Parts: sequence; structure tokens; C-alpha cells
Amino acid sequence: MRLSIKWLRQYVQFRISPEDLGQRLTSVGLEVESIEHLGKVFDGFVVGEVIRVRKHANADKLTVCEVDVRRKGTSPASVLQIVCGAPNVQKGQKVAVGLIGAVVPKNQHDPEAQPFVLSKLKVRGEESNGMICSEYELGLGTDANGILVLDETANVGTPLAEYFGLNDIVFEIGVTPNRPDCLSHIGIAREVAAILRKKLAIPKLKIREEKKSNINESISIKIENRRDCARYSARLVTGINVGPSPVWMQTSLKAVGIRPINNIVDITNYVMIECGQPLHAFDYDRIQGKQIVVRSASEGEKFITLDQKEHALSASTLMICDAKKPIAIAGVMGGMNSEISNSTTSVLIESAYFDPASIRKTAKELGISSDAAYRFERGTDPNGTRFAADRAAELMRDLADGKIHKGAVDEYPRKINERNIDVRISQVNRVLGTALVASDVKEYLLPIGIRILKNSKGRLKCIAPTFRPDLEQEIDIIEEIARIHGYANIADKMVSAIDFSGMTTSPDEFHEIRRFLEGSGFSEVVTNSLVDLRMAQMFSDRVVSILNPISKDLSAMRPSSVCSMLQTVSHNNNYGTKDLRLFELGRTYETVRKEEKGHPVPGYAEKEVLALCLSGRREHRGWDSSDKGVDIYDMKGVVEALLNKILLDKFHFIYYDSHSALTEQTIAVEKNGTYVGFLGKVKAELLRKFSIENDVYVSELNVQVLVQSDEGARSYSPSSKFPIVTRDLAFVVERNVLAEDLQRRIVKIGGKLLAQIVLFDIFEGKPLSENKKSLAFSLQLNSSEKTLTEEEVDSVVNGIVADVHNTFGAELRSS
Amino acid sequence: MFYPEYNKTFAMAEFQDSLAQSITSLRAKAEEAARTIATTDALEKFRIEFLARKGSVGQLFEELKSVPPDVKPKYGKLLNEFRIFVDALYQSAKTKIESTSAETDTFIDLTLPGRGLPLGTRHPITQTLDDIKSIFVSMGFGVVDGPEIEDDYHNFEALNFPPNHPARDMQDTFFLDKDVLLRTHTSPVQIRVMKERRPPLRVIMPGRVYRNEAISARSYCLFHQVEGLYVDRNVSFSELKGTLVAFARAFYGSSLKYKFRPSFFPFTEPSLEMDITCFLCSGKGCRVCKQSGWLEVLGAGMVHPNVLRNVGYDPEEFTGYAFGIGVERTTILRHNIPDIRLLFENDMRFLKQF
Repeated sequence: MRLSIKWLRQYVQFRISPEDLGQRLTSVGLEVESIEHLGKVFDGFVVGEVIRVRKHANADKLTVCEVDVRRKGTSPASVLQIVCGAPNVQKGQKVAVGLIGAVVPKNQHDPEAQPFVLSKLKVRGEESNGMICSEYELGLGTDANGILVLDETANVGTPLAEYFGLNDIVFEIGVTPNRPDCLSHIGIAREVAAILRKKLAIPKLKIREEKKSNINESISIKIENRRDCARYSARLVTGINVGPSPVWMQTSLKAVGIRPINNIVDITNYVMIECGQPLHAFDYDRIQGKQIVVRSASEGEKFITLDQKEHALSASTLMICDAKKPIAIAGVMGGMNSEISNSTTSVLIESAYFDPASIRKTAKELGISSDAAYRFERGTDPNGTRFAADRAAELMRDLADGKIHKGAVDEYPRKINERNIDVRISQVNRVLGTALVASDVKEYLLPIGIRILKNSKGRLKCIAPTFRPDLEQEIDIIEEIARIHGYANIADKMVSAIDFSGMTTSPDEFHEIRRFLEGSGFSEVVTNSLVDLRMAQMFSDRVVSILNPISKDLSAMRPSSVCSMLQTVSHNNNYGTKDLRLFELGRTYETVRKEEKGHPVPGYAEKEVLALCLSGRREHRGWDSSDKGVDIYDMKGVVEALLNKILLDKFHFIYYDSHSALTEQTIAVEKNGTYVGFLGKVKAELLRKFSIENDVYVSELNVQVLVQSDEGARSYSPSSKFPIVTRDLAFVVERNVLAEDLQRRIVKIGGKLLAQIVLFDIFEGKPLSENKKSLAFSLQLNSSEKTLTEEEVDSVVNGIVADVHNTFGAELRSS
Repeated sequence: MFYPEYNKTFAMAEFQDSLAQSITSLRAKAEEAARTIATTDALEKFRIEFLARKGSVGQLFEELKSVPPDVKPKYGKLLNEFRIFVDALYQSAKTKIESTSAETDTFIDLTLPGRGLPLGTRHPITQTLDDIKSIFVSMGFGVVDGPEIEDDYHNFEALNFPPNHPARDMQDTFFLDKDVLLRTHTSPVQIRVMKERRPPLRVIMPGRVYRNEAISARSYCLFHQVEGLYVDRNVSFSELKGTLVAFARAFYGSSLKYKFRPSFFPFTEPSLEMDITCFLCSGKGCRVCKQSGWLEVLGAGMVHPNVLRNVGYDPEEFTGYAFGIGVERTTILRHNIPDIRLLFENDMRFLKQF
């Protein structure tokens, strides 16, 4: 909402600066988002009078003018010599003069140029002390052919801003949706009066009607849909001359951002901005059958609005019709067929109350936003329709020679009364934490239009005005009290009771995972969970898609964090970072059957996942590092370490023979038989879709499953105090024997005495025969009860050697 | 080097048997060999020749097996002392080699960078979230979360947004279905928590929310909020202010200047927004604070009685407050980040800075 300070001053007088006023308004909830000094651009420009003109001796096209600018305090130098190049400059003209130091918005020799500062200069030997400006140079229009000639009656020396009526300051106020009353100058004036304890002066109307013609003879109103139209008031003004509205009205409208059109339309807009009631002016002669019918449209009915667009209406659209046809979409926009034109002589002024929800629905459906709809859908004052209609009629009489017919038509089938709201002082203080008394409350409420009917035993019977539809119950009045009392005047208290009832989980159950990964050199990413639908479908056939996406590439919820990871890899690769160790803790989304239990919104599943990603070199690049790229064992190592960290040994891997659609070398992770996630190498064809050249290894683990723990604190188990014996054994086996199988067997046979086993070397090639490999294990043997003898150790080792020979055909490799 | 014990014992034992002779000759040989050791290879050769299990000294121990039992302890002791002697020769040679090689053989460039450890980084959004969370947890707030895919009831209706009300325009919504949407704020978690539990209730609800707005330097289609809720008997607006001031001081610093101004949210009343002095310009006015000198940091208010009724609480019995903090906005301000999109691009050159 744009608020003109000049306009505001019509209703309330105040002395404080606009900046102070802005702060005060903000402090009561009318946030002043910006303050614009309209005339600022014309600082240093004044109205001047050309008193002498002579040809420039050294230039054909130039004239040397003497211009009276009558600057205060600079006399006798109030007459400036200015060299002018315009062909139309003449003695006696009132002109716009830029003084030395003024900033000229436009340069007529160079449309791209920056504004420039005027300085004293000599033009071919003649001194020039300023500039007589063209419309173009002032930024007011396109005419650059000659100087702008001002009105003869303009006062010399008047600042140009004032001459143009631009000596105004405009606030941009963020009016919250609950305050439709503040979408008008009177509404805001009421708040200003309340804050500054000044008197609010609403214009008194003395309506001067024609005695002979009665409106009832010319029009009747029939409201068929009383739910959506509670009231319809109208005035009839005839004998009108349509033409431009006076400068003061045009200036006012321009200041608040409304384009002047003609006196009739301007008056309806002016009254709306003044009091908040949207009006519509119909060309009375185009209304058929002397009748206005307010009814719902029939489904599919077509209608052309005054912006020349055709709309298909629905049965819920409220229409204003005459005896034959619809003439306006109620509260939203008028129709072409009854629009005011230059030949209009009679105007029917509509001032109605429409149901907010109905108007909002229509405006949304038809995709129309208008100043009228904006106000109606927030709620106008049903008891303010007559004031607005009368005000507009009076202005049409004054500014368009209109004759006001006697009386008004005013159908009000569903009377909307002021609300009675009981307010308990005790409740006010309980909610606010204050110690206010009834007299304070009264003092705050009266100036904003809330009357108090009765005051007994700490209970106030308040009457909320109908221009405040947001005031429905006690808490609404409490808010008004807090607002006017001032939030700053309510103490900042803090109750220091210790309460652990809320302590349900640790601050972040994933904290441990994050710390581990950061320590392991992984960088956390936070990615967009909205992705391209088609891309999402490569990852899942149960994609959650968005009905109204911003764009195609953000049209679905990601079913897997891998797509976000690949986008991140792609981005970084494009900017030269190829070595990546990334993780993300985020969600993935999929549809599920509606009957499936355990989802807050049936049919949709959200999973909290950990995504890991490795690409590029294995080692931090340095003078001593290898350039080897990462492989699946790097990813497996990270996952193993992480799982060891949080689960100890309660997990195992499953190796997939068949490849998944997205990865190869895929390994699944299970925890106690529950699927946790997978790791693998991203397939080349998928990488190509993201324009990634390097190999990428990813893992996605369900962290909810991971951190779910039924164990309490871990129990201590004693470490042996007896010496450890180490034996290294290298076995030669067929190449396809799996290391894990061999190791498991060794562990099984080794039994209790085998404390630890490490696979420390793998070898293939000569002198081994083809299809053979050597797997070397380092075994640590140890007893918790005694020092092992050589014989005991040999017996375990021999047992192992014999067993794996039988089971895998493993031969002990001779050294 | 001086080995008194060995010399004494050895001098005493002038045995004319083979073992003693072996020791004597081996001693001379070892001393001679040790004198000429100059390289690590030679050192290792010495170790293998004399001290390894199958080396010359070891061989002597093998011979000990055949010595008669009555003199065995004496010879054993003698041999042991000899081994210690040879080992000492070895250690002395080793020390000599190490000290010379370190200084002369290799040039060590100490200016070389150390072998790097990969450094992980925490995303700035997470850092802000962690800081906000830990402050409220220390005040006794629990942490809960809720779904991002929500229904109209939890996201709007239960929060006192009437159907067809312009307040819904304050939050442009992504729809998945007629009544299913991506939550536009974390406030629906309030409804879920209040329905699941009974007061006293003091929790924060961090999470990701979505807005169907054009993506620009100032706004993104998603962001994170930390919602807070405290419901009990006699929770007041005054206490809300106190808590927010305590939070802001902990987060932004104790010298912070702040102000509260009335605002509107359908689910709280009275509602407020909190501004703090712009820390980029110290309140003088700059581009970031739009010349106002103030930065809006959070919205809050007293839980609306209609909301309490919707979750089955009696507003006569309970009152409460709720607040919401925008994590991205806070992060951007904190780190002077000019464009919100940088947070979601995850460029390593950006992430490494935090």
C-alpha cells in the first residue's frame, strides 16, 4: 500500500518528521518498507521567467537568455544569464531552470548517458549559469525538440517539485492480510491519530442532490445471491462531462501509483484509496431495463472484461447484471459493455459489500488481480458503502458537472452488525505478562474505533467496528492492546524454571555421523530436493511429482539422493574441482500405497538418508601422493569404518551378482536382517547424462535404521594380559575363491585363540600358475588365560592349514 | 666404549676349551668388522653375520647344548655376556651411521608441505542450524521433526488459515495432490506435536520447507526453518520476548540491539517480528538492510486460541508461544553471502570457506 503523506495530512495533523512517523507506524504493525521523496529528482530546479533574449554572437543556433529565478537571499543575482539552444525559447515564457549544482536526469545528446551535474561554464565566450530544460532532460517525457514551457501562472522561484505537485513523500507500507482497513488513507490516518493522540478528521459530506429526479425511478437493485452480496448501494449522477480530472487529483493518484484515466474513473479510484471501499462506475445509458441484478454466473458463461479479455465463468462467479446481460464480474472487474467512455453522460456508482472468500475464489480462478478484488477479498466495511457512494457522487458533481439524483438505492439483505467482544483484564495480563488496568485498556482502544459499552469487575464489553473484520474474539482485542501499548513496553521476562520434559532426543542424532565424515575428509553438501521429473524416473518408478512446479527441471521430489550428488559432482567438475569427497544428510521421497501404515501423510514416504560420494584421486594431491583414482574399495572402506563406528560389528554386506540399473560393483548393507542401503560405482551411461567424465562411487544409507539402537551403554570386555603370537600365512588358491569366504573359514577354525586376522597381501602372476592367486593373512594368537606355548600355536596353525586345504584347495605358499 | 662387566669375566676365564677359543676369535672378528661399518647395508650385514638367530653368536649357543651340565651355567653366563658385548658393538655402529647419514647423506627440505590430511567441511546451513539448536537445547527445549510432505489440514487449516483466505497467499505452495502439499513452514509440526503430547511442551522443530517462488538471489524454492513451541499454564508474551532476547544475545552477541514490532501470522496472536541492528553497517543503513539499519531475524507470537482448540487444548487452561527462525537468511547475514543460491550449488570453492 502506497501512502501519500500529503494526502494523509487531510485527515490528521502532525509535526513529526516522515522518518519518525515511519518508525511509529512500523512499531504498531504497519511496516514502512520504504520512504520515497517524490520531488527529490528536481532538487535544484526552479520555475524561471525568460526576461530577455538575444542572439549569440558566435553561434547561429544559440540564444543568450536572461532568466529571472528570484532565488531568496541571492538578490541582486536573481537574474541568471543562460545560453540556450532551443528554437522555441521566447521572452515572457515560464520555464524549468536547472541551477548550478542541480543533477539533470537525462542528456538529450546521449540517451545512454548518466545524469550529469550542472556547472558554470562559457559557451563560445558567453557565460551560462544554469540550464533551461526540455521535457526529455527532466525525465518527464520524450520531447527533446525544445524547452518545456510551463503554465503562465506559475510563480517564479517555486521549486519545480512543488510546481509539479511532487513535493510529497510516499511510504510503501506492508499491510498484513488481517488489516484491510489500512488499505486506505483514512484507515492509516486513524492509526496515526491513535499513536500520536491527535484528532482524526474524516470529511463531512453534505450531499447536494437534484430535487426533481429520484433515483428510484431510474434504477432498482435485485440481489439473488445474498450470501455473496450482503449489500449493494448505488448513486446515480447525470449530466456528466467526461474529461481529465484536475491536476491535484491526478497528482494524488500518481503518487500512490494509479494512472489517471478520466475524471469519473479517477474519482472512483480516489475514493477507494481514501476510504478503502472499491467503487465501480457504470455507464448508466448502457444498463438495460433500469435494473441491476446480482447473481451467480452459469457454468461456462462467457464475459469480456474491460481489459478486453474474454473469461469463461464458473457457477461460483458472482456477476453484476442488468435486465438482459452481465455487466461486471462482481468486485473483480467491470465489463467492456458498460465501461465509461468519453461520451458517457450518466453514471451509476456501485458501492457494495461482497463476501471475501467468494471474491478471492473468483479472482484466483480467473487469474485477475485488481485493486478492488485485493480489498474485497480481505474484507471491506459493509457499513461504509453509503459514505463512499456519496463521496464519489459529490466529487462528480464538483469535478464533472454531474447532477446527483435524489436518494440512493441501498439493498442490504444480510445486515452485518458490529461484534460484541468481552475482554477480561486478567486475561489481558495473563497473555501479555503485563499489569494493565481497565483505564489503560480503554485509552488504547477508543482511538482505533473500538468502543467500550460496559466495564464491570474487570470485564470490558467491547464493540468492534465493522471496518475491522479481523476482530472476532478476546485474543484479537488483546493484540490491539499490546500493539498500542507498545511491544517495547512489555518486559522481556524469562522464567528460569528447569524443565527436562522436552528433552526427548539428543540435539542431533546424526551428529556422530557428521563428525566422523568431516574427520574423514568429507565435505557436507545441502542440495535441492526438487529435481527434474524425467531424471527422477530413472531412479524410481514411484516418483512424487509436483502439480504446479516452478519449472520442468524442478518438477519432482528426488527418490534418491544420488541424483542430487551427481548434479553436485557435475557442477564441481565444470568448475575444475575433480577430486570430491562429499556427503549429504537429507531426505528422499517416494509414493507408497495409501493403505501402507506408518506414514504421516498416507501415500507418501519420506526417508532420512546419508549419501556418500567419491570421485577423482584417492589421495590428497601432494608432492608425495599417488595419482591413483578412487575405486570401490575406497567407498567400501569408508562405509565399513562408519558402520564399525556406530554399529560395531552388527552389519554385513551382500554382494550383488546382477547389476542394479544405476550402479555396478554394487554392495548392499544389512543390519540385523534389515536393509540399510547400498554402495557402488555409478554406471557410465548415467554419468554421461550428467556430463561427468570421471568415475563416481556413491553410497546411500538409511540413517534412521542406522542410528536406531536398542542397546544401552556398551559393556566392557577385558583384554588379555598374555603375550600375542603373530604368524603370517600365505595361501595359494584359485582366483575365484572369495577372500571373505577364506577368511571366515580361518576365523572359524582358529576359534577362541585367534584374536585377530588381517589380509595383508594379495598376489597374482609368476611364479604362480595362471588362475591362481596368493592371499596372505597375518594371524594374531592369544589366550586370555595363559601364555601360549609354541606347540599350542603350531597346533592351531596346522589345523587351519589343513582345513583350508580341504575346503578351498589352498596350498601354503613356500617362502 | 667401556664394558667393565664383560672384560672382567672374560679375563677370569682362561679356559683352554674350544668354546672359549671360539669366543676369543669371534670377538676379534666382530670388533674388526664393527670398526669398518660405514653404511646401513654393512650394518645389516654385521647383524646377520653375528646377531641373527643363525648368526655366529647364535651358533655358539647351539654349541652350549653339548657342554657338560656342571659347567653349563658358567658357560651360559659367559656366552650371554658375549652376546651383549656384540650387540653393544652393533648399537654403537648403528648410532654412528644414523647420526652421520641424517646430516650429510640426505638433504631434508623442511619447507616441503606436510603430507596433507583431507579436510572435511560442514555446510554453513548445518553450522547455523547446529548453533541455533544448541542454544535452545541448553534452555531446555527438546528437538522433534515432522514430514516435509504435508496435508492441507496440518499446513493451513489447523493453523487457523481459513480456506480461501488471502493469508494463504503469504506462502506460495507446491501441491502434490488436491490436499497434499510440500509444507510451506515448519509450523505443521506444532500441530503434530501438540496432538501427540500434552503440555508442558517445550520443543524446537527444525526442518526444510518449500515455497513456490521464482528463484533469485534473495529467494529459493526451499529453505530451512527452526520452529519453536512452548505451551503450558500461564506462558506469556513477556516471556516470549525474554526467550527471544536470550536467544538473540547468545547467537548474535550480547551487545545486540533489538526491537519487536507487531506482525500477522494466522496461527499466533499477538504476533511479532524481531529486528536486530544491522551488523553489517552497525545500523547506519546499507544495501542489505535496505537502508533501514535493521534486519528482520524472526517471527513469533502467542499460539492462537483457535489453534489450541484445534489440537484439543483448552485455551482457558493453556497458553503458549511459538516462533520461527529462517536458517538461510540467518546464514547469509552471518557470512555476508550475497546470493542464496550459492548455498545450494555446493561448489567446493564455496564450501571450503566455512
